[in-house]
Order: sequence, then structure tokens, then C-alpha cells
Amino acid sequence: MRASLFITCYNDTLFPETGRAVVRLLEHLGVEIDFRPQQTCCGQMHANTGFRGEAYSQAKRFVRLYQDAETVVIPSSSCVAMIRDQYPGLFEELGNETLRKELAALLPRVFELSEFLVDRLGVEDVGASFPHRVVYHASCHGLRALDLGDRPYRLLAKVRGLSLSPLANTDRCCGFGGTFSVKNAEVSSAMLGVKLQDIVETGAEYCTALDNSCLMHLGGAMHRQYAGMKTIHLAEILASTDASSAEALA
Amino acid sequence: MSQTAAAHPQLDPLLALPFPQAALPVLRNPQLRKNVAHAIDVIQAKRGKLVEEKTDWQQLRQAASAIRAHALDNLAYYLEQFETRCSAAGGTVHWAGDAAEARQIVLNLLREENATEVIKIKTMTSAEIQLNPSLEAAGISVFETDLAELILQLGNDEPSHIVVPALHVNRSQVREIFARRMGLENLSDDPEALTAAARTYLRQKFLTVPTAIGGANFLIAETGSVAVVESEGNGRMCLTLPRTLITLAGIEKVLPRFQNLEVMLQVLARSATGERMNPYTSLWTGVTPGDGPQRFHVVLLDNQRSSILSRPIERQTLKCIRCAACMNACPVYRQTGGHAYGSVYPGPIGAILTPQLMRMQHSQSLPYASSLCGACYEVCPVKINIPEVLIDLRAQVTDQERGRFNRFLDPMYLGMKIANFLFASAWRFRAAQRLGRIGLWFFTAGDGWIHSLPGIGAKWTQTRDLRGLPSQTFRNWWAARTPVGVELKRQAK
Amino acid sequence: MSAPPTSRQRILDRVRLATHALADPGYNSETAYAALPCTFIVRGQLTADARIHLMIERLREYGAEVVECSPEDVAASIAAQLAASGKHTFAAPPGLAAEWLAGGFNWKVDDGLRIEEIEAVEGVVTAAFCGVADSGTIALHHSLTEGRRVLTLLPDWHLCILRASQVVETLPEYFERCQVPPNLVTWISGPSATADIEMTRIKGVHGPRFLHVILVRDPV
Repeated sequence: MRASLFITCYNDTLFPETGRAVVRLLEHLGVEIDFRPQQTCCGQMHANTGFRGEAYSQAKRFVRLYQDAETVVIPSSSCVAMIRDQYPGLFEELGNETLRKELAALLPRVFELSEFLVDRLGVEDVGASFPHRVVYHASCHGLRALDLGDRPYRLLAKVRGLSLSPLANTDRCCGFGGTFSVKNAEVSSAMLGVKLQDIVETGAEYCTALDNSCLMHLGGAMHRQYAGMKTIHLAEILASTDASSAEALA
Repeated sequence: MSQTAAAHPQLDPLLALPFPQAALPVLRNPQLRKNVAHAIDVIQAKRGKLVEEKTDWQQLRQAASAIRAHALDNLAYYLEQFETRCSAAGGTVHWAGDAAEARQIVLNLLREENATEVIKIKTMTSAEIQLNPSLEAAGISVFETDLAELILQLGNDEPSHIVVPALHVNRSQVREIFARRMGLENLSDDPEALTAAARTYLRQKFLTVPTAIGGANFLIAETGSVAVVESEGNGRMCLTLPRTLITLAGIEKVLPRFQNLEVMLQVLARSATGERMNPYTSLWTGVTPGDGPQRFHVVLLDNQRSSILSRPIERQTLKCIRCAACMNACPVYRQTGGHAYGSVYPGPIGAILTPQLMRMQHSQSLPYASSLCGACYEVCPVKINIPEVLIDLRAQVTDQERGRFNRFLDPMYLGMKIANFLFASAWRFRAAQRLGRIGLWFFTAGDGWIHSLPGIGAKWTQTRDLRGLPSQTFRNWWAARTPVGVELKRQAK
Repeated sequence: MSAPPTSRQRILDRVRLATHALADPGYNSETAYAALPCTFIVRGQLTADARIHLMIERLREYGAEVVECSPEDVAASIAAQLAASGKHTFAAPPGLAAEWLAGGFNWKVDDGLRIEEIEAVEGVVTAAFCGVADSGTIALHHSLTEGRRVLTLLPDWHLCILRASQVVETLPEYFERCQVPPNLVTWISGPSATADIEMTRIKGVHGPRFLHVILVRDPV
């Protein structure tokens, strides 16, 4: 099984430890990973802010780059949602027949990380160990656009020593929303405050999710408010074993 | 007693502040936020229970969406059929191209009646065309009969929600308004007492005012009938007691057949008020001798709807049945309430409808008043993909900006153009990562976190820290661990 | 020179332009209507007894008082309800069965009552067209036995005679019952209510505050 890792622009720059964890995890599961250095961004930020032509040029780049990949794995559900939900419309409007065919051929081979593990590899127990109290935040793209369902919970359930705290109002948005967090910073912060209350109330040590975008937003406020809770991407929990614990703990 | 209807600067898209600014006073008002959250929670809980109980809920949504889409696909045909049938039954159908024309038609009809007073059933459409101020200016007293509208009218306030317009007003505020405007000094703030006061106050109006203005939830093409869905009974009063009834309805309200209500009524009540069925639904066809108004007029309103219809992605906006489930589910609306949207249509539907009604010349901040979480789409009974429309409207707003000579002075626009330039090449992207790390190093505190940024970055750091950029990007780590030869061989494959 | 296009013409032209541009060639609206999805529940699954039971339950849920009676006892049951109400003056639709107008009360049969007269009665007695058990809805088609609309709107107390054979389970089944679409309908699913003040549900803003139903157990 070969997987091409699309790290995402923001993970590459801000959360390389998530990428390292994905590599460690997938190689442990026998997947041969390649990383194409020509990759940059999926175009979501531009598409969602209204810069459609610019988003298309990034989308084209992505599709061309991964044409021959066996599978593409992405540790970010919002980026997968962009590719799955918005690329077809962009290519319909701005692309040509050849590109549309390339996209159609590629889409079934693009996976969000938990989809790749559960659906493609058929594993739920990845041999992880993370003896901590954890609360899982279901980011909106994963929840609604990708309909990830209980995949993340099934993966978390098999992590040794992990205690999952139930979260109230799981389907409520954390308020990040990409450039919304800056264009509507005050409303974003109000939504953040409400979400954080539910999360901190669980008393968990770690808040995890499949998107570092949400975690950056939640974690940034946790740090500012001395909330005593840390954020960690799900990949890092899954890559954590008795031998090598997650880098975030270091 | 005439009640002056104030113009609504807060809800006039031509005068409203951009959403981020308009939201600020609400965000700072804990009482208001509590009222909004409480109202939303009540409806959401009831809705949730009923949706779970309705085992064919998704099939109903599917059918409702298809019926509305079909009606829009064949709108001209169904509008003409409605007109023919309604006229044959004794109604008179008028067509208004825009708000001004609609106001004029209504005014002319009232003048024909020599009307000095009208009673009104709540209709968003009349607020959309700003009907009340124009009637008042013509010397006609307007009496809102819906309890929430009455509260807002007497209190000189504006609606903040489509279904529960006065949800931002609490009982003591209502007591104060009624005591003052109805002259009831000893009125208590018990909702029962307040409602009884409204009942008494309005009864006389219902029995004496000969002209009523209302809206329509649905127009039935097959029969030329109109359906009005309500809870209080003021609709039934206005629809049966007066001599003349004027119904104002957007052209998109039409359904093909009477039978389509079997789907629409099931999804509407559950979505709007969390009930299996609302207390009263009335349907009438033209004029019935001996029962109800003997003069009946329908004013069909276009006001940009035909324009919205012409756009493939935006057309679905017109499927809306005004249930307000979207704003009850919206985490943004929960924080800001309705006034921040600067329109009589707030929340997610308002964010897509209002800018389009304004021909994309106003309310351009509304498509951005969303985190694109998709909760609205999930609950919409007619499956309007609101996030999809929001994104398309954002593209339209951005395209407008592309044409402006000073666009690069907008930090967001400049940032997006630069980012696109960087993303177009891996080399540039790597260079930007290096530069970014160096630049942000100045702002990184000893604990490895950034607590304060200048310019647009301040919008982030006003409430959040940002972890300092790691010394090694992922791609550099990957490049370092993979021997060059292996990598080249792999790329060559 | 022809007259300038009316608003009607301009609106319809714009609408046609908008819809034709996005329609596929060969689109047929009748075929399209026939193809609309219809996978929601149409037919109810309950037995007749369970259906009636559900109707009664839903009616009581929203505060209506319900009593059952056999077909022979309708008049007596009506008399009992009227007596229990403590009221004396009742309106009745012109087609209501004569034996239902119980003695000992002041009856105002609506053969052209003035509004003031209807406003002055204390209650009204009518039949109904159909009941929908799923939502406890009573459908009035305002026939001669149901009365014109104002008759069931102004009085504060409404006694409705509903036969078991008139009760269906689902809303689609009610529409099946309407062989032709009715001209006038009032669907009642509760007393008038508002939740406009702090979401507190208050009953009886306008319209009858008291709904009583006699459910006649005729063969279904």
C-alpha cells in the first residue's frame, strides 16, 4: 500500500509534528509513504474568501501533482472537504474536459487520515498508547462535509490507557472558520468562548481533533487563558506508543 | 389611536453597519445574548425531539426540496395558473416589479377603500418593502396584530428573528412597553397578563377595521388558493372579519398543487416552532360569498427574485419557506442575534438573501458572516445548501473588489494575492516559510508563543496566542531524513 | 404604437428567461412533476383502534377535552358537554342536525348572524371534515355542518363532533380524503398560542381558548 502525503500548507509550517506523527503511524502500519515536495496548498483559504480563480490555479496544481498517486492521505478534514466538495464546481466552471477527467479519477483516491485508517487499511487498533484524559472535538468539515461519523471515536477507543471524556454540544462550531477568525474576529471569539467552556468543563488533559486549524484556535485561547489543557492532533495520539510517546509531551 | 411606525435604520441594508461592527454592541450585551440563546435552545430541543420521532424526516426534506425546486423551474407557468384560478374565484391579482411598485399598488388599493386604518398579519415581505412607513406617511394608521410585531411596534423596535421576532425582548421590557402605550399602569410582567392585555387591545381592532393586509406562506397554483400558517389566531381574525383583504406575496411562494401541502406543512411546523403542526392554518380561494372578505387582492412581488432565479447556484435561495430553522441552528446567530445582520431577513438565510435583494450593491459583509460550519444546511427543510451560496456570493463580492483601483490597500486582498503568488511555486513557498519564521521570531516570547501581532494579525492575538513557528518545517524534516538519491529515484519513477 | 409592457409582462418575461436558460432541452414540466420523489410515509400503520387512541392522546396533549360516545348517544353527549360548560348561549351552523341542538340552551343558528351576535355567544358546536391523528389536527372545510369561519373563531368555547370514521393517521391520508381540493379550510391543531414573550407558551390569544371534542365511535 502506497500513500502520498499531502501535509497541507499550515501543517507544514505550523504543525510539522503532526506530519511526523502521520509518517511514523503509517510506516508502522506498513504503508510506503512518499512526499512530493512540489505541494503547497489545496486552495481552500482562497475559495472560501471569494478568490475563486486563484483557488482554481492551486486546485489544478494539486490534481496534476497527484495524478499518478495510488492514494493521497491528508491529516486535515477541511482540506479534504475542499477537494471533494469544491474542486468539481471549480473545474466545471474554469477547467477543461481533460482536467475534469483527471479530477474525477483522483477523487476516490483522496483520503482524510481517519478515513484512510478505518476504510482503506481496515484498522481501528493501530497499537497506540496514550494514558491521558482526552476530549475529542468534531470539526465541522469532518462532521458534516465528510460525514466521518464514529471513525475517530473507534480509533480513540483502541488507544491503550486513553480515557475519552464526553463533550456537550459536540456539533457546535468552534468559531474558527478560516479567514472568518480574522474578518469577524469578535464573533469568532464569542463562539470560541462558548465552545471552550464546554471543552474545559470536561476536565480533560488534552483536546484532540482531526484539524489543526480548529486546534490552533482553541489552543491559542487555552494558552492565553492559562486553561491548563493542551491541544494535540489525533495523528499524534495514534502515533504515540509506550516506546515513543507523542512529541507534544516532550 | 395611531401608532407611528418608525423607519427602520437598523434593518435597512442601505443604512446598516457592516456585520463585524453591527455585531459588537450585541456581543457586549449579556442580557440580549442570554435571551437569544434561551429562545433558540427551546425551539431546538423541541425540533430535535420531533425530528427524531419522524422516521421519514429525510424523505420529507427530499420531497420538500424537490417540490420547491420544481415550482421554481416552472415558475412562470405556475404563476399564471395561480392568477387564472384566483381570478376565476373572485380575487384580483396584481404584479409588482419592485418594492416601490408594490407599495404604490397597496396604497392605491387602500385609497380605493378610503381606508384610514389597516390591521396587519405579520408578513416579512411587507417589512422587506418597508410598507408600514409609506402607509403612515400617507395618513393611514397601521395596526400590527401579531403579538411580537405589536411589541416591536409599540416599543419602536425591530424584529430580530423571522419566526419569533421579539425574542430579544424579555417580559419586564414587554410590561414596560404595554403599560406605557396601552395606559395600563398596574400591569404585571406575567406573560399571561401581558398576553391578555394584548388580546383585549386588539379585539376591538379586529371587529372594526374593515381592511387587512397579510402575507402568504404558500400560493397554490392548481386552485388559486392562499395558505397562511400561524399560532395566535390573529391571522384568522384578519383573514375572516374585514371587508377587504390584501395579500402580499413574493413570486417564489407558489406551490404546484394543494396536495403538496402534505409535505410542506409537515416540515414547516417542525422546523419553525418544534411542533407537529402549528395551532392554526388557514386556506382560502378567492372570495367565498357569505364567508370572509368580499374583496380580495393578491400583490405578487418580484423585487429581484427573477434575477436570483437566473443564477444556477443562487436559485436555491428561493426555495426558502421562512421557517428560521437555519438561524436557530447557527452558532454565529446565537452570539449576535438578528439585528447585527442589518436586514429584516437575518441569520444564514438573510446572509444569502439580503445581498441578492440588494443586487449585490449592499450588505456585502453578510456572506462573510459565517464560519461555513454547515449546521444551517443540515436543518434546512428544503435543503438549501447555504454554505455553497455563501461561498459563491463571496466570489461575487471579491470580483467587485478586483475592479477597484485601491484594492491593494485592503490588507486581506493584498494578503490573498501574495499568498496565491507564493502557493504557485514550491520554491517561493519555502522561501516564504523561511521569511515568515524569521519575521515572527521578533514577536515570539520566551515561552515560545506569540502574544501580540500588528496589523491584521492583531485580530488573531486580541483573544488568542499563536505558537511560534517551529524551527523546522515538515518538508525540511522529510528532506533531511530521506537520502537525496532515494528521493531523486522516487521522483524519476 | 403598442402599449408599453405591463409589470406583469415584464416579470413573466424575466422569469421565463431565467428558467429557460437553465433548463435542459426536451424538459417537460409534467413529466418532471410526476417524477418528484415520494418516498415519505403516506399510509399509516396503526389499527383503527390505535389510530383513534392516538388522535385522542394528541388532542389531550394540547389541552383539548375529549370524550367518546357511541353513535346512538351523540345528542345526549352533546347535552352533557353543554351542561358541564356552565354556558347558555351557543351558536350553531345552519346544517347542524336538529337533534344536536339540546334543549335548555339559547341557540343562535347561523342563518346570517351579525358579527356582534356571534361575538355575544359563549360557545359554538360544529361537526368536522377530518381528523389527523399524527398531529391531533382537526380539519374544518366550513360546510353547512361546520359553519363559516367566523363561527369557530369568535366564540371562546368550541365543541367539535368528530366521527371515528373521519379520523386518519397521517397528513397525506387527509389529502387523499380530499377528492377535490377544498375552497376553504381551517386546520386546527391546538388552541391559539404564542411563545413570543420569553418563549413562554401562553394559550388563547385569539380564537377559542377551550376546545372540546366528542369522538363518536362509529364503524370505521
